[in-house]
Amino acid sequence: MKLSNHLRENLRRLRAVYSDCADVVFHDMVIGGHTPAMLVYIEGLIRLEELDQHVVAPLRDGPGPNPALQDIRNQTTVASVQTCGTIEETVEKISGGNPVLLVEGQNAALVFGLSSWEQRSVEEPTAESVLRGPREGFIETMRTNIAMLRRKIRSPKLKVVTLHIGTCSRTPVAVIYIEGIAQPSLVREIMSRLNRIEIEDVLETSYIEEWIEDNRYSPFPQLLSTERPDVASAYLMEGRVVVMVDGTPTVLIAPTTFFSLLQTPEDYYERYVVGTAIRWLRYFFLAISLLGPSLYVAVVTFHQEMIPTTLMLTMARSREQIPFSALMEAILMETMFEALREAGARLPKQIGSAVSIVGALVIGQAAISAGIVSAPMVMVVAITGIASFMAPRFTIGIPIRLLRFPIMFLAGMMGLLGMILGVIIILNHMLNLRSFGVPYMSPLAPMKNSGLKDVLWRAPRWMLNRRGKR
Amino acid sequence: MRRKRKDMLANGRRTAPAFLSLLVCAFLLAGCWNAREVNDLAIITATGVDLTEDGQIELSVKIYLTSPSGSGSMSGQPDGNKGTSVVRSVTGINMADAASRLQKKISRKVFWGQADVFLFGERMARAGLEAPMDFLMRHIASRERAHVFVCDGPAKNVLLLSPSIERSVADALVHMAEQQTGLNITMMDLAQMLISKSKAAVLPIVVIREEQGEKQSFPYIQGVSVIKNGKMIGRVNEDVTRGIMWLRNEIKQATVTVSPEQSDGYVSLHLHRSQTRLIPKIEGGRWIMTVRITGQDDIVENTSDLDLSVPDHIGKVEKELEKVVNTRVKMALGQAQKEFKADIFQFADNFYRKYPKIWEANADRWDEIFPEVEVRLETDLRIARPGLIGKNFFRQEQR
Repeated sequence: MKLSNHLRENLRRLRAVYSDCADVVFHDMVIGGHTPAMLVYIEGLIRLEELDQHVVAPLRDGPGPNPALQDIRNQTTVASVQTCGTIEETVEKISGGNPVLLVEGQNAALVFGLSSWEQRSVEEPTAESVLRGPREGFIETMRTNIAMLRRKIRSPKLKVVTLHIGTCSRTPVAVIYIEGIAQPSLVREIMSRLNRIEIEDVLETSYIEEWIEDNRYSPFPQLLSTERPDVASAYLMEGRVVVMVDGTPTVLIAPTTFFSLLQTPEDYYERYVVGTAIRWLRYFFLAISLLGPSLYVAVVTFHQEMIPTTLMLTMARSREQIPFSALMEAILMETMFEALREAGARLPKQIGSAVSIVGALVIGQAAISAGIVSAPMVMVVAITGIASFMAPRFTIGIPIRLLRFPIMFLAGMMGLLGMILGVIIILNHMLNLRSFGVPYMSPLAPMKNSGLKDVLWRAPRWMLNRRGKR
Repeated sequence: MRRKRKDMLANGRRTAPAFLSLLVCAFLLAGCWNAREVNDLAIITATGVDLTEDGQIELSVKIYLTSPSGSGSMSGQPDGNKGTSVVRSVTGINMADAASRLQKKISRKVFWGQADVFLFGERMARAGLEAPMDFLMRHIASRERAHVFVCDGPAKNVLLLSPSIERSVADALVHMAEQQTGLNITMMDLAQMLISKSKAAVLPIVVIREEQGEKQSFPYIQGVSVIKNGKMIGRVNEDVTRGIMWLRNEIKQATVTVSPEQSDGYVSLHLHRSQTRLIPKIEGGRWIMTVRITGQDDIVENTSDLDLSVPDHIGKVEKELEKVVNTRVKMALGQAQKEFKADIFQFADNFYRKYPKIWEANADRWDEIFPEVEVRLETDLRIARPGLIGKNFFRQEQR
């Protein structure tokens, strides 16, 4: 609806919109001693001092009678001033934290870019800390986050397209890409998927992640999330698209492959030998964290001849008094471990340590002495636990931790055969996945030689043609 | 058309959960395939096969006791306390019969997968190994990599031992075999020898060293039993065993002491690499086998008056060494060709490989040909490292 020429009419509508909103301030003023005007803003979302100094004070002495909107605008000393002509737009600006000036006799309002609110300072993200590399992380304010990216990639080709998602929350969402590197079709696809979202609020990027991913039932994340500006810019340089949501430090990166979820920024910040070694270690332990307990269960219940004799005899001895089957034992211990980990994660730090002490006792010596679990099982659980912490990203760690259980069942019922069956099913699913049209397992399947040097090992930087990699 | 597809999709959505639950049921209801928990197993570490007086087979097994006995069981330590194994024997008309009777006598499932040692009693070996070998090679769980021995006496006696150094008698025998100071024959090797063209095999003999007290007695490997056509026909002593090992290219380590001519004292050499090649040749009806032994030695001790930093002296020692080795090889050859007439060196297969047609024509006559095969020895043993000192400085007259 268009703004009317009458201030009173406009105010009536605005007050109706903002009824029962105690934090919306309607500040009465008279410009230059003759023209009535109203400054509308939300308390706490603006820089009040600057508003006083650069808008209220200059306008009091104001332009002459019957000023044009442009005259009023020129009178203020604010760098960012916009005009808007409809009620809806005005409401959106006010809700976004911008003070809006409505003037008698004007069918347009002035919007001052003075929004500001309390924000966390830029810190190192705790979930993605590095030994070497930048220590800054995204914060909850999108404006600051975009600025961080812009500071890393100072090219005008870095494009930022914003839109609002959430019928109620009207959360600003930014789609960021580098023109000329990101494929236009990819950007179009992301935009169209974002536009199709029908939700009321977006509190976190995961809200939109579940809407735009290709396979909505898969346990595997098809979008990479990060809190690190350096990671985001690295992927931007690879032609991927960053989706940013105001109010959360996590940003989404699309498209995502399985192997990019297994990389850390430090793979690239350390020397390539170190990067390669750590990467291999990670792959190995990833397999352990998926298959460790299953392998143990399969071998102990079906393939005793596979164990070296001496170990076999020792294991037979330690399992002698255990009342449960190896499968039961494994499920018991793994569940216990997951419970302990979850309990520890949600507790305040001071109590968290108590949990780990009790946990160490429960799945440690006490459980063995009580004759409930065998010592080798505790070791397997411990190794698996450590292995699951090797997952560089929480999002990829979770599906692997969960898939461990069905494979354990299969191993307990059919031995190695079942285990392999489980692995085949999972691999089959992963090979089927796509993230915005890019095969999830690429560049391994479909095989792309140029990409393999960043998967099988971390090739030296001069060998990595980052642009060609997907 | 489109409508049909839509219907199918809707159907799929409805049937998918049903299908999934059926799949889960299939797994759960089928139970756990041949699952067996470790603590339901009677783990056999060694097996002995004997022939009783009345021609039955006596199967004895050494079972590892997994249940912690007595106090201190909770320590979880795999302590080496003795008596952790028990021996059970049964008799039956053949191996399978005995094995099934064995299961009747044991509360747990008999598990052959870890049986690393198979012992044949001397009487069994002399009666023939065909019957037990068929069972052991046919049986899924028994290991082809298990070590096979012939016992000096009943196999059960060896199983009853519990040598103090190792956890069980099986461990002791495996380790002794793997040191390769004597022959090291696995089930696979034995099977291959038995079905080879030469139809002869060798097996190491386990001898019990009796000491006072049961715990003190221990088994060790001494000598070789010669098997022809599946039956043991004789045994050879330790010196001949070395000769056999040279010929079979099984010498992995050896310390040879020689006494060089025109010098008093001895030089000891440690062989650290050796290879024996058999090169067959048929020349005008004469069957010739060239045995080429090459190797490298280190001098480990010199009590003679030779200065081993002088190349000539090294040559002298080498000659002497070759002479000693040749003597042993000739002893072994002599016994095999003349006394046992058993081709335990697998000459037959070498001839067959090179002259398949001639071999086929003469296959039936091999027993007559073998004793007459002319063996030419080409021994070339080198001294690679004479050690850090040349002369023995510690002999007064050498200073």
